[in-house]
Amino acid sequence: MIVEAIVFYMFSTILLLSGIMVISARNPVHSVLFLILGFFNAAGLFVLLGAEFLAMILVIVYVGAVAVLFLFVVMMLNVDMSRMRDNLKKNMTVAAVVGFVLLGELVWIFSNWHFSEDAELNVQTPFSAEDAMDNTRALGEVMYTDYMLFFQMAGLVLLVAMIGAITLTLRHRPGVKRQKINEQVNRQVKDVLRVEQVESGSGIV
Amino acid sequence: MGLIAVFLPLFSAIFAGALGRIIGDRATQAITCTFLCVAAIASIVMFNSVILEGNTETIKLMSWIKSGDLELNWALRFDTLSVVMLFVVNVVSAMVHIYSVGYMSHDKSKTRFMAYLGLFTFAMLMLVTSNNFVQLFFGWEGVGLASYLLIGFWHHKHSANAAAIKAFVVNRVGDFGLSLGIFAVFMLFGTLQFDPVFDQASEIAGTTFEFLGHQWDALTVTCFLLFIGAMGKSAQLGLHTWLPDAMEGPTPVSALIHAATMVTAGVFLVARLSPVFEYAPSVMEFITVIGALTALVAATIAITQHDIKRVIAYSTMSQLGYMFFALGVSAYGAAMFHLFTHAFFKALLFLGAGSVIHAMSDEQDMRNMGGIWKEIPITYAMMWIGSLALAGIPFFAGYYSKDMILEAVYADHSFVGNFAFWCGIAAAFLTAFYSWRLIIMTFHGKPRADEKVMAHIHESPPVMLFPLIILALGAILSGYIAYSWFVGEDRFEFWRDTLFILEGNDTVEAAHHVPSWVPILPFAIGLAGIAFGYLLYMFRKSWPQKIANTFKPVHTFLYKKWYFDELYHNAIVVPLIKFGYVFWKGGDKKIIDGLGPDGIANSVKEGAFQIRKIQTGFVYDYAYTMLAGVVIFITLFIVML
Amino acid sequence: MYSLADFYFHATAALPEIVLTVFGMIILLFGLVREDKSTPQVTLMTVSAFAVTALVIAAMPSEPFKGFMGSFIYDPFAQFMKLLVLMGGAACLAMTLSYNTQEKINRFEFPVLALFSTVGMMFIISANDLMLAYVGLELMSLPLYVLVSIRRDFLRSSEAGIKYFVLGALASGMILYGISLIYGFSGTINFTRLSETLALQDGVSITLSFGLIMLICGVAFKLSAVPFHMWTPDVYEGAPTSVTAFLAIAPKTAVFALLARILFDGFGDMTAQWQDVIWIIAAASMIVGAFAAIPQTSIKRLLAYSTIGHMGYALVGMTAASFDGVRSMIVYMALYMVMNIGVFAIVLMLRQNDRQTTDIDNLSGLGKTHPVVALMMTVLMFSMAGIPPLAGFFGKLFVFQAAVSAELYGLAVLGVLTSVVAAYYYLRIIKIMYFEEPIHVLDKPTRDLEVISGIATIFVVAFILFPQSLVNAAQAAATALVTI
Repeated sequence: MIVEAIVFYMFSTILLLSGIMVISARNPVHSVLFLILGFFNAAGLFVLLGAEFLAMILVIVYVGAVAVLFLFVVMMLNVDMSRMRDNLKKNMTVAAVVGFVLLGELVWIFSNWHFSEDAELNVQTPFSAEDAMDNTRALGEVMYTDYMLFFQMAGLVLLVAMIGAITLTLRHRPGVKRQKINEQVNRQVKDVLRVEQVESGSGIV
Repeated sequence: MGLIAVFLPLFSAIFAGALGRIIGDRATQAITCTFLCVAAIASIVMFNSVILEGNTETIKLMSWIKSGDLELNWALRFDTLSVVMLFVVNVVSAMVHIYSVGYMSHDKSKTRFMAYLGLFTFAMLMLVTSNNFVQLFFGWEGVGLASYLLIGFWHHKHSANAAAIKAFVVNRVGDFGLSLGIFAVFMLFGTLQFDPVFDQASEIAGTTFEFLGHQWDALTVTCFLLFIGAMGKSAQLGLHTWLPDAMEGPTPVSALIHAATMVTAGVFLVARLSPVFEYAPSVMEFITVIGALTALVAATIAITQHDIKRVIAYSTMSQLGYMFFALGVSAYGAAMFHLFTHAFFKALLFLGAGSVIHAMSDEQDMRNMGGIWKEIPITYAMMWIGSLALAGIPFFAGYYSKDMILEAVYADHSFVGNFAFWCGIAAAFLTAFYSWRLIIMTFHGKPRADEKVMAHIHESPPVMLFPLIILALGAILSGYIAYSWFVGEDRFEFWRDTLFILEGNDTVEAAHHVPSWVPILPFAIGLAGIAFGYLLYMFRKSWPQKIANTFKPVHTFLYKKWYFDELYHNAIVVPLIKFGYVFWKGGDKKIIDGLGPDGIANSVKEGAFQIRKIQTGFVYDYAYTMLAGVVIFITLFIVML
Repeated sequence: MYSLADFYFHATAALPEIVLTVFGMIILLFGLVREDKSTPQVTLMTVSAFAVTALVIAAMPSEPFKGFMGSFIYDPFAQFMKLLVLMGGAACLAMTLSYNTQEKINRFEFPVLALFSTVGMMFIISANDLMLAYVGLELMSLPLYVLVSIRRDFLRSSEAGIKYFVLGALASGMILYGISLIYGFSGTINFTRLSETLALQDGVSITLSFGLIMLICGVAFKLSAVPFHMWTPDVYEGAPTSVTAFLAIAPKTAVFALLARILFDGFGDMTAQWQDVIWIIAAASMIVGAFAAIPQTSIKRLLAYSTIGHMGYALVGMTAASFDGVRSMIVYMALYMVMNIGVFAIVLMLRQNDRQTTDIDNLSGLGKTHPVVALMMTVLMFSMAGIPPLAGFFGKLFVFQAAVSAELYGLAVLGVLTSVVAAYYYLRIIKIMYFEEPIHVLDKPTRDLEVISGIATIFVVAFILFPQSLVNAAQAAATALVTI
C-alpha cells in the first residue's frame, strides 16, 4: 500500500511540475519535451488505477504521434517565446486574480467533496471481477455494442477533421508538373508526332 | 356565396392596387366594377338564402388569437342583420364603382381610387360580418383608414388633407371609447365572441363597480363607452364636426362612405349589440336624446349652408339622428329600415349632386348655380326623386321608414320619446324645406354661373346615369317592398333572433297602434316644408335675405354651424396646443430630454464605447473574459449558498 | 448483452441522423469525383438531403423513444427542433449558391461540412446523456471552425477560424470539466438517471452545482451568450458571410435545445441553482447585445451583437423555468431563425463592383436605388426590434409574458428597456436606407436571395394572422420536455 502511495505522489508531483514547465520554459522545444514527460507520468497514473490500456494508448498516441508532431512543428516554425511572454506579463495581474480565485474555489469544492448516495448504484460494472477480463478486451466488448453510437460518431468527427484539414491546406498549384501515368501509357504517336512537308526556301510556321 | 360577397372587394382592391398601373386605367375600372357587381349579385343571393330562406350561418375562416381566456377566430357571421348590411354595402358600392368610372374620368390616379374603394368595401364587410368584437374593431379601423385615404384623395389640396386628418382625429376620440368599451366587455364577460356575450348579458346586468367613490353600473358604463364609438363613426352631435369637412373627398366617396355605409356603422353597432344595450336603459335614453338633438341641430344648420354637398352632409347627419333615436327607444327594426332606405336615397342625392357638380365644371356653391334644369333633365329628375324620398312623401322609400321611426318614438310614451318625437317633427319640416331650397337654388331661377361654365353644361354620361337610375328605383321601391319585412307583419320571421328587445319595450309593435294624427303629421309637415321652400325661393325671392337680416344673430349662429368648430378650437385645440407647448419646452426639452433621451442617449453611447473597448481582438483577452465569467458565477453561487 | 437486432431496433430512433449521414457520404464522394466545378450540384444535393431528412422526421411517430442505452432520445421536442435546424440549414445553404461563386469559395467541401455539422446538431438535440451531448457538440463545431476559415487566403478569415477554434477548445474544456464533476458526484451522465438521482437527494450538492455551472458556461459559449460571447463579433466579421449566416442560424437553435434538455430533463430538480446563473447570462446578453451594437459600422458585427441580444431574450424564456418559458423560447428561436434568414439574405446581396460590402454606410439611399430590398430590410429590422404587429414582437411578447408569470419582473423590465435601446440601431439602418443620399450604388441583387428574403419578410408580416399554429407546435414540443 505504501509503495502505491509513494508511486502515486511521485507521478503526480512530476506531472504537475512538468505541466508548469510546459508553460514556463524559455525554449519551446523544451516545452514540448516537458509535455511528453507529463504524458508519461499521466500514463503511470493510469497504470496505478488499473487502466493499463488507456496508459498504453496515451503513450503510443500522444507521445508517439501527437507530441512528436508538435516537436516537428515547433522546430520548423521557430516560435518567438520571449515576445509572447511580454504579452503575458501585460495581463499577468488579471490572469493571476482569475486563476487564483478559480484555484481557491476548486480547492474548496474538493474539500467539500462527497458522493451521491446513488453514485455506487449508478456506476455500472458490466464485468464481474471473476471474468478476469483484461482492459483491452473489456473495452472491445462494449465499444462495438453498447457504445456503438459514440464509436461511430467519433468516426464522423475524425472524418470531418480530415476533410477540414484537406480543405484548409490542399492547394492545386497551377504549373506544377505531375506524373500522369494514365496519359503517358495511352499516348499515341499521332498525338505527338507531326510530319510536315517542307518546301525548300520556306520555314515551318 | 358569402365568401364571394366579402372577399371579391378585397381582391378588387389588391388587383387595382397591385396590377392597376400595369394593365391600365380602363381595364382596372372594368375589372373592379365587374368584381363589385358580382359581389353585389352574390349579396342579393345571400339576402335571399339567409333572410328569406333562413340559412343563417357562420363561416370560420381561421383561428386568430388564442391566449389564455381570449380566443378569437376570423369568421364571417351571416344572419339577417349582417346580410342586410352586406346587401346595402355591396349594392351601393357597386353603383359607386360604376359611377366613379365617369366621375373620375379626368383624374390621374383612377386605379388608386378604385383600390381605395375596394379596400373600404372590404373593411366595411369585415365590420358587418364579424362574429366578435375584435374583428369588428378591425373592420371599424379599416373603414376609418379607407375614409382617411379617400377624404384626402386629392392630397394636393390643403383643405382635403386637413379634412382627412380632422376626420381621423375626431374618429379617434370615438374609437378610444369603443376600445375602452371592448376592454370593459372582456373584463365583464371574459370573452369577446358575440354569442356568449349576448347570452350572459342578462346575468351581468346590475353588477356594479366602484370608481372615484361611486358605484357605477357596469353594463351602463360599458354600453356608454361603446356608444361613444358609435357617435364618432356616425357623426352624432359632439363628434360630428368631421363629417361636413369630409365632403372634401370626391363625391362618389361621399355617397358611399359618408352617406350610405360607413357612417351607419354606429347604427349597426348598437343594433348588433341590442342584447347588451337593452339592459342599459339609461344609455338608451342618452342615445335617444343625442339622436334627437343631432337630427334637429343638423337640420337647422342645413338650411343655411350654400355648398351643395354640405347641405346633403348635414342632411345625412340629421337622418342618422333619426336612426339613433329610433335605436334609443328599442325600435331597432325601424332604425335598420331607415338605414336601408336612406342608403338608397342619400346615395342617390349625393351622386345626383355629383352629377350637377360634374356638369357645372366642379362648382359646388349653390349661389353660383340655378337655371340648369333643362340642360340636365335626368339629373334633375333624380334629385327630385331623392328629395321626395328624403322628405317622406308617401310611397317613396323615406316615407315608410321615417314615419315608422316617428310613430315608434311617439309610441314609447316616455319623456325622451316625446322629446325625440317633436324634434323629429321639427327636423322633418326643416328637411323638406332645405331639400327644396337645394333643388330650387340649384336648378331653377336665372343662371348665376358665368357664361363659360354655362356653355359647358352637359348631361352626365350614361355610365354615371345608370347608377343613378338603379338607386332611384331603390329610393322609390325599397320602402314599399321592405316595409313588412323590417317593421311590418313579417318582421319576426325576418329578423329572427338577431335583434333582441326586452319584454314591454317593443315600440315597433306599439307604433302600429298610435292615434291616426301621428302618421299624418310628418307627411303634412313635410308638405308644409316643401311649400315654404317654394314660397321663399321661387316666389318671394327677396324674403330669405330679409329673414336672414332680421334674425341676423340666429342666422349667423346657424350658418356658423352652432359654433361647434370654433368651440372645439378654442376650448380644446388651442389650450391643448398651449399646454403641449409648455410641456414641450419646459417638460420635454428641459427635464425629460435633458435627463431622459438626450441624457440616456449620451450614456448609452458612452456605455457602448466602454463595451467596445473590451473587445480588443486578442484571443487571450477573450479567454480571460470567459474564465472570469466562470469565476464570477461560481463565486456568486458560493456567496448565495 | 447487446445483439445486432437490438442495434437495429435502437437505430430506428436515430434514423434521420443515419439518413443524413449516408447522404453526406454519398455527396462527399460525388464531390470528390466531380471536383469543385460540381459545387452547385453538391449544394443542391445537400439541400435535398436536408429536405429528405426533414420528411423522414415528419413521417416518424411522435411518441418518445429512447435508444442506445438511453443515451439517445427521440420525442416531439427533438422532432420540432430538428425540423427547425434542417430548415435553417437548408435555407442558409441555398443562400450560399451565388455568393460562394462570386467570392470564389465555391468548394464542394463547403456544403458537405455544413451537412456534417448539421448531423452533429441533430445529435445534440437528441442527446439524453452528457457524452452524446459532448460528441455532438464537437461534431457540430469542428466543421464550423473549418468553414469560418474557408477563405484561407484572407487573414481575417483564418484569424477568425483560429480564434473560434482556440476559444471553442476552452469551452470544450469547461464542458468536460463540468461533466466530470457531475459524474464524480452522481456516477452517471444520463439525464434520466441524473434526475432520478437528484430527486432522491436532499440539500444542494456543491460538487454537482459546480459541475452544472461549468457545463452551462461551456454551452453558453456556443450560444454566444455574455460573458462567453467575445468571439462572436470577430468570427462573424471574419467569416465569409454565407458561413456567418449558417453560424448565426442553425447551431444556436440546436444548442438551445441541448441547454433546455440539460436544464429541464437532467437538472429539473435544481432549478434554484441554475436559475440565477441563467438570469445573469440572459440579462448580460440583453444589455451587451443592445449597447455594444450601437457604435458598430459593419453590418456583420452589428448582427453579431444583435444575435447576442436575441440569445438573451430567448434565455429569458429559459430563466422562467416553466412550461410557458420553454414554449416561448421555442417560438422565439423559430422566429429568430426566420428573421435572420431574411436579414442575411439581404446582407449577402450587398455587393459593390462584385465585392461584398459590409459597411453600414453603404446602405445609404438603398430606399431609392433598390426599393424592394430596402422595404424587406425595413420590415425585418422592425421585426427584429420587436415592433408590432410583426413576428418579432410576438416572440418578445411571449418571452416577457412567461417571465412575468414566473415573477421575474426585473428581467422582464430589463428586457423591455434593452429592446428599446436595441431599437435604436435597427432603426438607424432604416434611417440610413431612406434618409441619406446614396454614396455608392450597389450591384443588382441576385434573384434567389431576393426570393429567400422575400419569403422571410412575408412570413414576418403575415405571422399575425396565424400565430396559433406555431404556438401550438411549440406547445407540443415543450410538453415533451416539461411536464406541466
